[in-house]
Amino acid sequence: MNEILEKIALCVEFGKINKVSPYPPNMKDQDGADELTRQALDGGVRPDEILENALVPAMAKVGDKFSRKEIYVPQMLMAAKAMNSAMAHLKPFFQSGETKRKGKFIVGTVAGDLHDIGKNLVAMMIEGGGWEVIDLGVDVGTDKFMSALDANPGAVIGLSALLTTTMENMKQTVTAIKEKHKHSKILVGGAPVTMEYCQKIGADFYSPDPQGAVNYLKALVS
Amino acid sequence: MTNAKFQYAFSDLGITVSHIESILGYDENGESEIIQFLIDEALKEAEQYCNIRAEYRIYNEVILSNPDKSLTINNIQFNIQKIVFNQLKKTESVAVFVCTAGGEIVKKSREVMMEGDPIKGYILDVIGSVVVDVAADLMQDALAKSVIQSGQKITNRYSPGYCGWNVGEQHKLFYLIPENFCGIRLTESALMDPVKSASGIIGIGEHVKYSKYTCSYCDMKDCTYRNLKDEKEERRKGNKY
Ligand code: B12
Repeated sequence: MNEILEKIALCVEFGKINKVSPYPPNMKDQDGADELTRQALDGGVRPDEILENALVPAMAKVGDKFSRKEIYVPQMLMAAKAMNSAMAHLKPFFQSGETKRKGKFIVGTVAGDLHDIGKNLVAMMIEGGGWEVIDLGVDVGTDKFMSALDANPGAVIGLSALLTTTMENMKQTVTAIKEKHKHSKILVGGAPVTMEYCQKIGADFYSPDPQGAVNYLKALVS
Repeated sequence: MTNAKFQYAFSDLGITVSHIESILGYDENGESEIIQFLIDEALKEAEQYCNIRAEYRIYNEVILSNPDKSLTINNIQFNIQKIVFNQLKKTESVAVFVCTAGGEIVKKSREVMMEGDPIKGYILDVIGSVVVDVAADLMQDALAKSVIQSGQKITNRYSPGYCGWNVGEQHKLFYLIPENFCGIRLTESALMDPVKSASGIIGIGEHVKYSKYTCSYCDMKDCTYRNLKDEKEERRKGNKY
């Protein structure tokens, strides 16, 4: 692998955002994901190579470490921030269509629920998996999911809920979406949700952590 | 034994860096200096975003029914289920409580996240959760002290949504407290607004008991909070856990 891609991947994995960021201490005063991505692009590395060969694998490592409880939310957030600083340089290429992402992922916390930390983590990790994420926020009713899906046909949906009461609303949303868009894939998650519940309400996949969702999405398009 | 209302200052709670660190998952040996630094900074700031209140009402008219594992308070029947029922078996009165850190801390947390500092935002969010928990501990200690005079003891606190008790029963619980108690509003989906709030009941009686190791009753094996309280208690006593 190209040396600079390896360096970018390391920066993302360990949350080195840019040169001035003090974290991690052993990378102090070195260029971070921000500068290195700029340099790579200026040096002629293709944006899709940066995405696929540096950012995506680095974020997968981060997600796996989180699933194995080797790192915790703060480190995952640092990695995501480093990834975002690299992503910012790639945005123009996404917009022009020169670089394509794997697909679109619409995510939201279901109606009646205001919990968003878990959903935000999932959104970040899926973006780091090379997907375009459309985050509808919290307390999202079925109608809003439907119109987002109408506007982005073929997008995968992710639903989050943190209470058993609001988990019920998940069921309504899944039923309505499946009625209209039979082949849409729906992922569900949040503290009280289980694989059993996922199957019961007719959703396609449940994961207790973000990386499980990333791996499922990866398998969908490969 | 009377109803009581509390307003706490952030400093009353005595929340330490290592407490937040352990909730985040890190052990006390200081795995990460930067995390400790960030927590320290966030703790200094968090004070101004918290409006910490707790309140309880005492009800003496309680009926326990073993066949359906229910508890009736003032004619309102709660299906508290087996685990909670067993802990409340000998209860003579019940304190219904709510407790909150206020709405500002989450608002600030999300603002900071949006401004590009997700780590600080997350730490503020976690501080909000810990504030609710510690404030409820203080309220509970005060209740214990007030009932001891009449030779009574208290149980642990039990909340709708835990130990099999359906969170939908929050609606019934809120019948027992005045509207806008501590500024908390219950939404149709049984969610309290502000989010950093907790509600529940505490049993009171001559023969009730407080159990130390409550985590083992719960099914959430992966919970980050699992056993933390138990560990804290043991460490305070100087035992290795
Ligand atoms: C901290 C906490 C609190 C705090 C803060 C609340 C908050 N969320 O801000 C306080 C103390 C205030 C609190 C209060 C209550 N809580 Co509480 N709380 C928790 C706790 C311990 C952690 C929640 C958390 O922040 N997790 C961290 C985040 C990052 O995790 P997460 O949101 O679950 O997301 C992860 C995964 O679920 C997944 N994921 C999430 N969404 C999605 C979506 C997709 C598509 C995928 C693939 C994955 C995915 O990925 C994320 C990252 O790994 C959980 C138990 C637990 N261990 O989860 C209980 C828990 C959520 N609470 C619970 C309950 C019952 C309550 C109360 C109702 C109790 C009460 N009566 O007072 C209140 C309700 C508060 C309210 N506003 O109405 C129950 C809910 C279950 C239920 N029965 O409905 C839980 C599960 C505890 C339990 N053992 O039963 N709580």
